[in-house]
Amino acid sequence: MNPAVLLAEAAVDRNGQRVVQDVDLTVTRGSWFGVIGANGSGKTSLLRALAGRLPFAAGSCLVEDEDLSADRAGRAQRFGFSPPADALPEALRARDVLELVGGDLDAVRARLGALQAALGLAPLLDRWIGDCSAGMRQRIAIAAAFAGGHALVILDEPFNWLDPVAMFDLRETLRGMVDNGLTLVTALHDLATLATACDAGLMLADGRVAMTLDEDMLQAAARDPRAFERRTIDLLRS
Amino acid sequence: MGASERTHRLFHHDWKIATNAVRATFAAWQDRLVAAILLLMAVAGLRNGFADLPWLTALWAGVAVSLGVGMAAGRLVLARLAFHAFDGLLAADALHLPLRRRYIAAWHGIGIVMLSGITLIVRPSLLIVSVPAYLVGALMAGLTDAVAMPLRILNATRPNWSVRAWLRHPRAGAAAAIILLLVLLQARTLGLNAALAYAGVGTVVLTLALTHVDQSAVRFMTIAGYGSGRIVLRLSRALVSFVAVAAPGCWLILGAAPAGIVAAASALMFGLMAMRVLAYRLHGKRFADVLVLVLAGLLLLVGYAIPVALPVVALAVFWHLQRRAAAKTWLLV
Repeated sequence: MNPAVLLAEAAVDRNGQRVVQDVDLTVTRGSWFGVIGANGSGKTSLLRALAGRLPFAAGSCLVEDEDLSADRAGRAQRFGFSPPADALPEALRARDVLELVGGDLDAVRARLGALQAALGLAPLLDRWIGDCSAGMRQRIAIAAAFAGGHALVILDEPFNWLDPVAMFDLRETLRGMVDNGLTLVTALHDLATLATACDAGLMLADGRVAMTLDEDMLQAAARDPRAFERRTIDLLRS
Repeated sequence: MGASERTHRLFHHDWKIATNAVRATFAAWQDRLVAAILLLMAVAGLRNGFADLPWLTALWAGVAVSLGVGMAAGRLVLARLAFHAFDGLLAADALHLPLRRRYIAAWHGIGIVMLSGITLIVRPSLLIVSVPAYLVGALMAGLTDAVAMPLRILNATRPNWSVRAWLRHPRAGAAAAIILLLVLLQARTLGLNAALAYAGVGTVVLTLALTHVDQSAVRFMTIAGYGSGRIVLRLSRALVSFVAVAAPGCWLILGAAPAGIVAAASALMFGLMAMRVLAYRLHGKRFADVLVLVLAGLLLLVGYAIPVALPVVALAVFWHLQRRAAAKTWLLV
């Protein structure tokens, strides 16, 4: 099967500095791909470039067999993407945000399906975003990524600020959606989620790929999470 | 969702934010009343100011004002598009060329309608220059933005942040004062009127650099428990040392009148800085900047048209801002 996303020797610049370079990755259709790395390792820049929010400075980017390396608008259109929760407009309600991204609210709710309950979205719909806590904003930002009904979705550290119940519910729901055909790319700091929920992944260090994690490695990690954590932490420290 | 369904989505997004923000800002009837009075006074002041001007002077003033408004509006629209493309909900629309053009056209359409309305009230014959000048200003904003893009690469080492940090230090104020005095030493051979002009313009230009206000720093200090006065005092150290050196030095070199101009221009810049601090405690950067622009313009008009009313109006403006800004200390919102 052709991959959903194929990056080869991808590089991203920010403020004139190269923050991601020589990244190769393959995301299989209907899989969950996790990106881990230390703070400042280039995870967010890589995901933003993939989602069209930044240009690629070098390399190639194929999305569903189409070369979109130089087409930021094309990439932005192809991926659902959760904006940073703190960048959501305070003078809008959650309902407004979802309608702007996905059109009619009933259609958006139908697209979100089980995710609505996992995110506890119903009580948030009529709240001003300016009145929402960080966790509530994060839930709305995640819902916005799915409101347009994209088959490819990118989430940057989606579990930040969520309470343990919401984290659990969201992880299970996302896993279910991936099993039903969604292709998901997430940046993560939580190694347990990477080991138990993701199908493949990579670790970034100083903007380069430090380790590629295939399905077998992640299955082994799920069987012995402590050993996986120890090995990953050692690698991150080095 | 296809491009045809997304035609005005970006504009609706920002229109909704703008209308909601205006509603929230003027939620109380007192706020609406103050805003209505200020608006009426601004329009009346403009009409009064332009009516008395000779036709040619009014023409050039109209061109300058419309050009400035067009440039400011153009920069605002482009900055908003840059935000949408990087951090916004509708990045795909902000990156799609035809949709970008529609968004730009929609906001400039509103700008032109508003400018035309004001021109018709103030001096209808200026309509022949105000709209074209606005469009030229908007075009210039687009061209300068295209040039500014590659220059952003220079920001990699953040030299501007280091310079701004240094400009807040009293040493920077003293250095700026010495620069002004050196210029005035040369200007004293040109006569009193020229010296006064040099003192005024030089002070405004130099103190503009010394009174830079960083919105995120004001916001941080506000939630860290700093009151408005404490923030203003902290940001005015360079300005104070400037006046302490420049005003007496100017008195020695040129006499009392230019020294008075230096002190008055510095006081004016202090007021502008204080107004920005208060506005930044209340609103996001964009809205606060527009608010300060409107209020400063209003005070200038009042000072020009009815000078005796200026202290009362200035006090009312600062009292209104301070009353609301005081409640924001410690608030993490």
